Amino acid sequence: MSTTRPTTASTPEPAPVTGGLSQKGLSAGTVGLIGAVIIGISCIAPAYTLTAALGPTVSEVGFQVPAIILIGFIPMLLVAFGYRELNRSMPDSGTSFTWAARAFGPWVGWMAGWGLIAATILVLSNLAGIAVEFLFLLIDQIAGSPGTIAELAFNPFINVAVCLLFMLGATLVSYRDMQTTQKLQYYLVGFQLLVLLIFSITAFVQVAQGNAFDASPIELSWFNPFAVGSVGAIVAGLSLSIFIFWGWDVTLTMNEETKNPEKTPGRAATLTVITIVVLYLLLSIALLSFAGIGTGALGLGNEDIQSNVFFYLSGPILGPLAFLVSLAVLTSSASSLQSTFVSPARTLLAMGHYGALPSQFAKVSPRFFTPGYATIIAAVVASAFYAVMRFISEDVLWDTITALGMMICFYYGITAFACVWYFRKQWFDSARTFFFTLLFPLVGGIILAALFVMTLVDSMNPDYGSGSNIAGVGLVFILGVTVIVVGIVIMIWQAIKRPAFFRGETLTMDAPPSLRRR
Amino acid sequence: MSGAIVVGYTATDAGADAAALGARLARSLGARLHLVIVLPSEGTRSAAVPPERAYEDVIRAQGKRWLAEAMTHLPQGLTRSGHVRLGESFAEGLIAAGEEFGARLIVVGAAEGAGFGRHRLGGVASALVHSSPIPVALAPAGTAQDEVDVVPRITAALGTRAGADVLLGEAVTMATDSSAPLRLVSLVPFDVPPGLDTGAIRVAGGEHADEVLAAAKTALPQGVEVSAEQAPGDSVEDAVTHLSWLPGEVILVGSSRLAQPRRLFLGSTAAKMLRVLPVPMIVVPRTRTGAQVEGDLA
Repeated sequence: MSTTRPTTASTPEPAPVTGGLSQKGLSAGTVGLIGAVIIGISCIAPAYTLTAALGPTVSEVGFQVPAIILIGFIPMLLVAFGYRELNRSMPDSGTSFTWAARAFGPWVGWMAGWGLIAATILVLSNLAGIAVEFLFLLIDQIAGSPGTIAELAFNPFINVAVCLLFMLGATLVSYRDMQTTQKLQYYLVGFQLLVLLIFSITAFVQVAQGNAFDASPIELSWFNPFAVGSVGAIVAGLSLSIFIFWGWDVTLTMNEETKNPEKTPGRAATLTVITIVVLYLLLSIALLSFAGIGTGALGLGNEDIQSNVFFYLSGPILGPLAFLVSLAVLTSSASSLQSTFVSPARTLLAMGHYGALPSQFAKVSPRFFTPGYATIIAAVVASAFYAVMRFISEDVLWDTITALGMMICFYYGITAFACVWYFRKQWFDSARTFFFTLLFPLVGGIILAALFVMTLVDSMNPDYGSGSNIAGVGLVFILGVTVIVVGIVIMIWQAIKRPAFFRGETLTMDAPPSLRRR
Repeated sequence: MSGAIVVGYTATDAGADAAALGARLARSLGARLHLVIVLPSEGTRSAAVPPERAYEDVIRAQGKRWLAEAMTHLPQGLTRSGHVRLGESFAEGLIAAGEEFGARLIVVGAAEGAGFGRHRLGGVASALVHSSPIPVALAPAGTAQDEVDVVPRITAALGTRAGADVLLGEAVTMATDSSAPLRLVSLVPFDVPPGLDTGAIRVAGGEHADEVLAAAKTALPQGVEVSAEQAPGDSVEDAVTHLSWLPGEVILVGSSRLAQPRRLFLGSTAAKMLRVLPVPMIVVPRTRTGAQVEGDLA
């Protein structure tokens, strides 16, 4: 024990000033199979997704929704394989942005990042919009005042105000990185699946008992995409079904993060997909056979109910238990809000980090260790976007969903091509690399690119989607083009302000060499 | 060599306060300083957010930069190092780091919003003072602005309750290691049951103070001053406000009887003191840590 004050450098030990890490305490949390499935289902948020997408899909393809759900999964799967390869080869929190920049250079990379951010911002506003409607419906159902309180959700001022509160809450949760326990998440997801199951079974029971609104017997043709009739309708339906599977790929890209990187991601992805596809088919068939596709009060062809079908159908099908559906959609949107906030924030962080955006975006909150600045910007833009859309669109939820499908096709497509091009020297290394780095992502990318272009062309029609238009041009087209043009303008502005990234100095183009022995 | 001190660091004002107090204590005690940033481990925060190793790497690299930056601001001649740790919570990660480095103290700052020179328990500090097996030092807001290199005096707030002797022992050790004078402050009046008349309180206080002072004198080595003081006042807050404080002084208080053995639990008296205290407070477990396992002190 020293009795002198060691005020000078007389400490007995050497003084290594390290900022280093010791291995101890480095073992990050890893996810098991169930945990990965829970994450996958939380990211898809089936209750929210289906209520938002079912109506618009029916309006395009009629009874052939099950067929569209089934084939809509194919491009998603093909692209997800590409994602997995890229993630394995160069894991980066910028995902699409970084990968596309490495494969095609800074300009394409920038636009891929922009597409991802735009898509997530669109979905954030839609998510909050759906949550608001169900919040009012839930209060209405519990208070037992049929319709009067639920009607308030359609007052644009109340709607926007409550929606902004939702956003604020979600931003706070993301910014402060609030913990939700795994157990709670298990319950939420379990509850969601159970309610949807009850919902669809009850619908079938109602049909059997003759209480259905427009009982439509299930036909094999529902599974036949060729029965849709027009290519345009299939395309529109597909770009919507891209949306319903969006988020599923996270299960496949979690590698090191899982307890058993060899097996868990594949198994989790399979399990998630089976659960989701079965659930989607069950629900869509149940609701189709209960309500039909007519334009009557509860018909799925009724434009007034299409942007949020559970909202209108839960009451007639479940009666007093309808509040369960409201609760399931609410919890599903709420838990999905946090996971959805994560991806634009992390992409913006990466873009700031590599100098593609101002460096503030790369700032990490010193208290909460989250990309604080990026999170707040994403929230502000999503809120402003929702508020504007609520007033200019006849059906904000519908138009945002359709535009969203288009943006997903855009950035997923670029990512798929990035995979193909990045691995160009390894294509023929083995059968495995041929399929996973060339064939699958290439086919997936071509499908998505085609969907993007065809949707863009079709959406110029003022009758497209909800029928909102500005000066005779479809609002969805205007949305899609505006998003991309704004992206290009900001990109050029950034290229002038910080040219280093655009000269490829911070993120270089690359193609890993073939591993085959020559 | 006199052990290690772990500072729960964040790149905020509170983190700077904690680092400054940690540095001051480390210099005084001749201890090694470890700045520790505890990051939330991916995959355990939210069960709905996919964990991402790449993102974790970004945050970890940022943590290292913060540590490197912080360490350049620490006074020269201090044995220091910086560490990034992952933990489910900041408090949990700090306790683990404290155990890993065999720390004698864990230092944390005040919560955001604390007035200058004031304490305010944040979530991390609150969790620590209610669970840490290692003494916890709380730096009031603005500690980083103090121009004090070493601890000029150590004050220990003593009562008669179980654990007072452990607290006295810790205070004596710190005074010995730092050669700083020790001041014993009696909080006995606030320890006796309410309703006892003030005359009796004075008597109990006076007698007790003499006993403790005598015990401390025998325990301290030659040359380390010790003094005893009564803290007069109608309430704990009142008494603490009337005490005089040297800039940079620290006060040691004991843990509550509610604490688990060898763990901290901030008592109500200590919590009241914290509200008015202008100097750092160190909360000491009621029973000894490590090899010197407690006798039955309860």
